[in-house]
Amino acid sequence: MRIPPWSMTAVVMSALALALWGTTPPPTRANGEKDEEKGGHAHVPAPPEFADAYVPLGVWTDPTMIARGKDIYLTRCAVCHGDQGDGKGPAGVALPLKPPDFRDKDGVAEMRDNYWFWRVSEGGQVEPFKSRGSAMPPWKGQLSVEERWAVIAYQHAYSGHNGPHVPWEHPEMVQVGRDIFAMSCVPCHGVGGEGDGSVGPMLSPRRAPRPRDFTAGVFKFRSTPSGDLPTTSDLYRTVTEGISGPGGPLTFGMRRHRIMPSFRHMPEGQRLEVIEFVKSLNRDFWQRGEISTVKIPDAPPMTPERVSRGRQVYANAKCFECHGDRGRGDGPSAPTLKTDDKLPIAATDLTQAARFKNGMRPQDVYRTLMTGLDGTPMPSYADSLDPEQAWDLVYYVLSLSRDRGRTAEAGTR
Amino acid sequence: MLRRSLILAAFADTTITLLDGGSAMAIPAFARQYDLQCNACHTRPPRLNRFGEQFHMMGFQIPSAARPEGLVGSLKDDGPAKVLIDSLALRMQGGLFEYTESRRKATFAPPDEITLFVARPLLPELSIFVEIEGEPNAVVFEDGRYFPKGQVGLGKEAFFMLNLGRLLGAFGAPTMEMGGQTMVGTHGGFSLHGPMLMAGKVDPNTNFSYPTNRQLIAPTELEVLHGKVERFPVAPYAFASKFFGLFKNRDEREPQLVTDQVMYNVPGAPGVDFHAMINDVLLAQAGFLRENEGFNTYGAVRFDLLDRRELTASVSALVNWGFGVVRAPDPADRDQPGDKRLDRLRYGIACNVRWKELDVYGAVIWDQLFGLPGELRREFNRTAAGLTLELDYLVHEKVLLSSRFDQLWAGGLREERLDGSVLSLQAKVYPWQNIAFFARDSVNLQSFVEESPLRNWRNQFLVGVDWDF
Repeated sequence: MRIPPWSMTAVVMSALALALWGTTPPPTRANGEKDEEKGGHAHVPAPPEFADAYVPLGVWTDPTMIARGKDIYLTRCAVCHGDQGDGKGPAGVALPLKPPDFRDKDGVAEMRDNYWFWRVSEGGQVEPFKSRGSAMPPWKGQLSVEERWAVIAYQHAYSGHNGPHVPWEHPEMVQVGRDIFAMSCVPCHGVGGEGDGSVGPMLSPRRAPRPRDFTAGVFKFRSTPSGDLPTTSDLYRTVTEGISGPGGPLTFGMRRHRIMPSFRHMPEGQRLEVIEFVKSLNRDFWQRGEISTVKIPDAPPMTPERVSRGRQVYANAKCFECHGDRGRGDGPSAPTLKTDDKLPIAATDLTQAARFKNGMRPQDVYRTLMTGLDGTPMPSYADSLDPEQAWDLVYYVLSLSRDRGRTAEAGTR
Repeated sequence: MLRRSLILAAFADTTITLLDGGSAMAIPAFARQYDLQCNACHTRPPRLNRFGEQFHMMGFQIPSAARPEGLVGSLKDDGPAKVLIDSLALRMQGGLFEYTESRRKATFAPPDEITLFVARPLLPELSIFVEIEGEPNAVVFEDGRYFPKGQVGLGKEAFFMLNLGRLLGAFGAPTMEMGGQTMVGTHGGFSLHGPMLMAGKVDPNTNFSYPTNRQLIAPTELEVLHGKVERFPVAPYAFASKFFGLFKNRDEREPQLVTDQVMYNVPGAPGVDFHAMINDVLLAQAGFLRENEGFNTYGAVRFDLLDRRELTASVSALVNWGFGVVRAPDPADRDQPGDKRLDRLRYGIACNVRWKELDVYGAVIWDQLFGLPGELRREFNRTAAGLTLELDYLVHEKVLLSSRFDQLWAGGLREERLDGSVLSLQAKVYPWQNIAFFARDSVNLQSFVEESPLRNWRNQFLVGVDWDF
């Protein structure tokens, strides 16, 4: 048999590429990590419990706070970090993980304020710093939140930057997230995150849903009260699980019918990085005070009585007006429903739980009921239903679904 | 006649749908692998949207979210049966054609193509994509004549795609880990998606601003009668061979038809393709492909020059040198291939503008032949060009209107050469995202020429089904 020469070339090149594929490239500093011997640190994303702990904007330039921070710094931090903030304090010289140099403008510019607050609060007792030998003590038990803000503001002053330490002053803070966003999110959400990528109009012409405009401050999927911004955990859940929707192919084997993909295989740190970039598109994330969330009690067992009571709640709350008597999204008001930006929107077909945008687990449906879906006609029932009634309604809604057998595993994929 | 055709078409579509119910369940591979709707990646199948282009470019993986363990992880999570099912997909196209002013008035040919796809990522940076195609009504050329003959074999594409980022990193290039996919570059600085290597039977055109294998108005079939070509396909002329009188090879003496798609959207060409996206705006591509008795080297760039307010635009340019890819006719007997193999220079530009529900893409490609025998020079036009312009408009979530204009300024033997102009209009209805019923009309805008397979028709009306992925 004669083997065509160009086929052979292709095979040889392919084999060569495959053989070399296993080679591990040398470690790089491409993820914002500075050389440790020079006082650099891995600026990993703050974990979700600290991701919303931003330093208030006014603190950075408040002379009173900076002076208060100076006092704290000189008595508690300078021994390692140095009187001049250069990381060369007498106790810091011998440490395996060198204290950072706060005068390093580039290094400081990459540190997000929630990361800074996390580090001061938890010290070196958390990963990845613990295994790297960090001796930084946790200060959360000894310094109040305001005192921690003050000392951070003072440390920041060493860098010579006079404004607030935020992404719109230091875009390098969210550079990793921006790169991931450019690769994965821009086609739908647009370059500026305004939901104006070219894919949106093709999903459902002149109708909702559309990709989220991150600059507008209206988010559907939250654990926060209606009208509030979501938490980082809310955004993390959406990025991880994706968003289902109506429509889809005539096929089998699909567990969800996502219109936004799940990024569950993206490393957790990178998901948080992209969320930090998304938040940087809306300054309100830095200007909100204490964040309240809707508490989701443990799900009670599903019983026929609860479903029966839920049916009554469904009627009393007039869910049928949009979702129809049998939950098929065909209520009398359904044809008139519009989003806040005047696009027609369909009432969710409650018989297809796998397509619930906010998830189909009982706690997902509970959260949807109690927070509403901002920007759509779906209101919050937090003021009109108590938790027991809400659970009754949750189970009645799930009882309508043909997919109810799969609700337990939903959202985990 | 038209009424009868429509009734037959409706019957055919219904029959296909009902009889092939099992196949209907064996469709979208990537949709199942990622639990994603078709429209996440497709404007409407088979055309890709920007996210689908990114997905394709990164080796059929969600950008920045490759499964860390690849196939092994899928097997652990889902088990072998689901992994197998998820790796397979089927595409079927068929329909009924009606011609005016032609010896053949109606042809019922369901299906024209049945394609089985085997496609999935094997590792975070390695994927395979294989088409196994069955063509019950394929036309083959053997012993100096054409005749219909059912065929099964490797389809247009069968390749693996490898992300070379790690390899370049091993040689010292700075790299970024983006969700299991290694990219060359530094955050905030220079970045290179990939570069990606495709090897096998590859079709480089998906990355072009006019991707012919993703167009919504599909080429019609070549038709033969009594061993000779009766009618050329209506295909995007910009990417066609464009020359009358050439041959693909000497041994089989197979003619290179003027509408044969060359380099892009060809039925299988072994080769290697490299492509990389630079700084999210410039896609560079290079490679080589076999073609007939010779081979092509090509390079292309695509510049994504605009992306805001639901408006995107890109322009592409390609240049292609084919070494000995076609054979000139024998100067003494024009019906036979001669001794001389010709080189071909191809160059052209394409652009694509998407704004809201509108998608416009077009290409103009010039071809020039070199090495022509001296005896033929006076009788042979060695330059040719083609223009193809398509416009798609999504009227409704389930209705897509398309129109395409194809212009051929043909080259080749002057005694045979004729230009062609065709306008096609099509309405596609998608009751589900993966199934389209379509009605289409192509109009020959040039004068009717009975003896020319390019122009021996006035009108082609087609109805059919396109059961994608």
